[in-house]
Amino acid sequence: MDTFIILLVNGLADASLIFLMAAGLSIILGMMGVLNFAHGTMFLWGGYTSVWIMARTGNFWLGALGAVAVGALMGLVFERLFIRPAYGKVTAQILITLGLMIVFTDLARLLWGATPLPALRPAVFDGMVALGGVRIAEYRIFLIVIGVLVAIGIHALINRTRIGMVMRAGVQSPEMVRALGIDISKYFTLVFAGGAALAALGGALYVPLVGSVWSGMGMENQILAFIVVVVGGMGSFIGTAAGSLLIGLMGTLVAWFFPPAAVVANVLLMAVVLVWKPAGLFGLEGK
Amino acid sequence: MQPVLKLENLSSFIGPFHIVQGVSLDVFPGEAVVILGRNGSGKTTTLRTIMGLLRVASGVIELAGETILGLPAHQVARRGVGYVPEDCIVFNFLTVKENLQIAMRKADKETYARQSYALDLFPDLKKAYSRYAATLSGGQRQMLAIARVLQNDNKIILIDEPSKGLAPIIVERVGEALIAMKNSCTLILVEQNFPLACAVGDRYYILNSGRSVHSGSVAELAQDVQLQNRFLSIGS
Amino acid sequence: MLASLQKRLHDTVRQGVFHPQFHFLAYALLGVLLLLPQLTGLVTVGLFTRIFVLAVFGMSYDLLRGYAGIINLGHALFFGGGTYIAGIVFANYGTSPSMLGLAVLGTTAYAMLAALLMGKIAFRGGNVVACAMITLALGEIVRQIAESWRAVTHGADGLTFPIPMMFRDRVALYYYALAFMVIMMLALRQFIMSPTGRVLLAIRENEQRAIFLGYNTASYKLVALQVAGVVCGWSGVMFALTSRFANTELLTVQQTLNALLVTIVGGTGTLYGAIVGTAFVQLAQHTLLGLRGVHPIFERWLLFFGAIYVFVVLFMPTGIVGLYQRFISHWLQPVKPR
Repeated sequence: MDTFIILLVNGLADASLIFLMAAGLSIILGMMGVLNFAHGTMFLWGGYTSVWIMARTGNFWLGALGAVAVGALMGLVFERLFIRPAYGKVTAQILITLGLMIVFTDLARLLWGATPLPALRPAVFDGMVALGGVRIAEYRIFLIVIGVLVAIGIHALINRTRIGMVMRAGVQSPEMVRALGIDISKYFTLVFAGGAALAALGGALYVPLVGSVWSGMGMENQILAFIVVVVGGMGSFIGTAAGSLLIGLMGTLVAWFFPPAAVVANVLLMAVVLVWKPAGLFGLEGK
Repeated sequence: MQPVLKLENLSSFIGPFHIVQGVSLDVFPGEAVVILGRNGSGKTTTLRTIMGLLRVASGVIELAGETILGLPAHQVARRGVGYVPEDCIVFNFLTVKENLQIAMRKADKETYARQSYALDLFPDLKKAYSRYAATLSGGQRQMLAIARVLQNDNKIILIDEPSKGLAPIIVERVGEALIAMKNSCTLILVEQNFPLACAVGDRYYILNSGRSVHSGSVAELAQDVQLQNRFLSIGS
Repeated sequence: MLASLQKRLHDTVRQGVFHPQFHFLAYALLGVLLLLPQLTGLVTVGLFTRIFVLAVFGMSYDLLRGYAGIINLGHALFFGGGTYIAGIVFANYGTSPSMLGLAVLGTTAYAMLAALLMGKIAFRGGNVVACAMITLALGEIVRQIAESWRAVTHGADGLTFPIPMMFRDRVALYYYALAFMVIMMLALRQFIMSPTGRVLLAIRENEQRAIFLGYNTASYKLVALQVAGVVCGWSGVMFALTSRFANTELLTVQQTLNALLVTIVGGTGTLYGAIVGTAFVQLAQHTLLGLRGVHPIFERWLLFFGAIYVFVVLFMPTGIVGLYQRFISHWLQPVKPR
C-alpha cells in the first residue's frame, strides 16, 4: 500500500510535467499542422532561465515567471521569423525547427556550460508531508496541483473563450476560418507563444525535481512528449492529458518493478497503440 | 451600373496545374448568377480564387470597383464576401451557436436581427442550437453553412453546390432558402442540379476547361435544349 | 493529368541521375580524386576518406527523403549500429578479413531487422509528421539502450578497436572508401531506376494517388527503408575502419541530422547532391575548426551547423546542385542559330 501511494504520487507528478510540455506540442500540431521540434528547446531554456534567475535573486517564483516570459518570447520570435514563411510546407517546418533546436541547445551550452548546474526546490515546498502513513515530497504534490490547474485552465480556454473557439475550428479547417473573415495567423502566433510558455514553465518546474539542469534535457523530455502525442492522438486535448497520465504512471511503475525495461517500455506502448489504433487513443481517423 | 463583382480574364493554379484559364464575368446588384459546367471545369476553383484562398492568381477581381485580387481570404471576407463552401464545411467541434458566433463579422443589432431571421428560415437549427455541429445531418449542416453567411452584411454571397449529396426533399428546402436569400442579396451560385439552378438564377455563365465560354439569361437556357447538351450534357 | 505526372517523374529521375553535364563533371572529378593522395598530405587524405564514407550515409538518407519522401529521424541507428557491430567484432574476435565479412553480414541482418520493425511501426501513423516523431523516438531508444549496455558499448566513453591489416594504410583506405562510394552510388541509382524506385517517386509526389492506382505504398516504403538501412549500415562499417572508434554519439539525433543537412545543402532527390553536400559540410567544418585560434566562437560548430541548416531550408531549398542546375540552364543555354 505504501509503495502504491509513493508510485502513484511520483507517477502523477511526472505526468504533470510531461503534460506541460505535450499540451502545447499537441495543440500547435493539431491547429497549425506544425510539428515543433524546437519545443524541447523552450523546456531547456525555461529550466536554465529559472535557475539563472534564482541564483541571482534567490526567488524561485521569480525564476518560474522569468522562464514563462522567455518561453513566450522565443515562441513569438520563432513563429514570426521562421515558422510563418513555411506554413503548409510540412517537411520544411520539421527541418527548420530541427535547426532551431540545434542552434538554441548549443547556445544554452555556450551561455551556461556543458556541465549540469544544480537546481534547488523552493523553500516552501522543500519538506516532506505524511500521506496515509508514507512520507511524500511536498514538491511532488505541488507539481500535481499545478498540472491539474493547468489542465483545467486549458480546458476552460478551449471551451469558453473566443481563442478556444478559433482553435477548435482551426483544428478542422484553418482555411474556412480565414474565409469567414478571421485572421487566423494572429491566433497561430498566440497559440505558438502560449505553448512555448507552457513548455518553459515545464522546464522551470522540472529542474528542481531532478536537482539539476543540463543541455540534453530538452531533447530527452521532448521525446516523451512526442510519444504522448502519438499515443494520445494528434491535436486531441483529452488524448494529450490521458497520454501524459499513461506515460507518467507507466514510467514510474516500470522503473520501480523492472528498471531494465524502462527505456523500451514507452516505445512498446507506442507500438501497441499504433497497431491497435493508428490515429492514437483519442485521434480522429483520417485527419 | 457598376457590377458588384467583376472578373476579367481570371487565371489561377493549384500546385502546378493551371485550373482557371480565363474566366470573365460580371454580377450586378440584386442578381443571382449561376455558374454551370461539367465536373472539373473550374467552377469551385473560381470561387476559391475570388475568396483569396489560392495564392497564385492573375487577372482582375473587383468588388464594387475595388480590386481584391491578392488580398488574403480574411480581408476578402471582411469586405463583404460571404462564402458557403462545397461539402458544407461547418466546424464539428463547435456548437451550432458557436458556429454562428465565430462567423459574425460584427456584433451589432443588425447582425443579431439577421441571425434571428436566418434561424427563422431554418427552424431545425433553432432546435439544435446548443448541439455540436458534428451531430448534425447533412441537410442541417448545409443550413448552418448558409445561416452563418446570412447573418452578416454581405455585398455578395458565393455558394458552392449547396445541393450536393442531399436528399431531394432537403434540396427543395435549401432551394426555398436560396430564393428567399435572393430577395435581399446578390448571389453567385455554382450548381450541378439544373432545376435548382434554373429556379434560383437570373443569368448564367458556362465554364469549360477553366474558361467562361457562354452566358445569357437562365430563362432562355431552360428552353434551349441544344445549348444544354453542348455544354452541360444534361440528361445523358 | 496522369500522363503529365508520369513525365514529370521521369524528368526528375533524369535530372537527378542522368544529367549530361553531370557525366563530364563526374569523370573529371573522379580523375582528380584518384590522383589526390599523390598530390596532398595525409590530413587531406583522411578528410576525403571521411567525406566518401559519410557521403554514402548521406545518399542512403537521400533515398528516403529525396526519393521516397520519408523523414526518418532515427536513421543514425543504422549508421551507429554498423560502426558498433564492426567494432565489437574486431575488438572481441580478431581482425582477420573473414571478421570483416562477419561484421558486414551482421550489420546487414541487423539493418534489415531494424528497418522492418521501424517501418512497421512508423508507417502506421500514416503521415510525414507521425513518421518523423516515431522514428525520432525509436532512434533515441536505440541510443539509450547502447548507453545503458556499458559492458559491450562502453557508453559515452566509447569503444576503441583494432582493424584488419589491409585497411591500416591510410592511402589504401582512401581508395577503398572511394570505391565504396562509387559502387554504392551506382547501386542506389540502379535501385531508383528500377520499377520499385519509380513507384517510390510516385508515392513522394502524391501518396493518395499512388494508393488509388493500386499500389500498396506502405510495403514500397518499407523496401526503401530496408535498402537505405542496409546501405547506411555498411557506411557505418566503413566508418569503423576510418575511425577505429565508436561511441554513442554515432547514434544520436545529431548524427541523423548530419545526413539530413548534407542532403539539403547538396540538393535532395539527386543522390550526388549528398556527395556535394558532404564535401561542403566537412570542408566547412574543417575550415571553421581551423579558425578556432582566431576566436573561440569557431569551436561552436553546432551553432554554425544549425544556422546553415535553417538558412538553407528557408532560402536555398534546392541546395547547391539546384543552384548549379539553374546556373547551367540560365547562363550556359546554347544560343539558337537565327
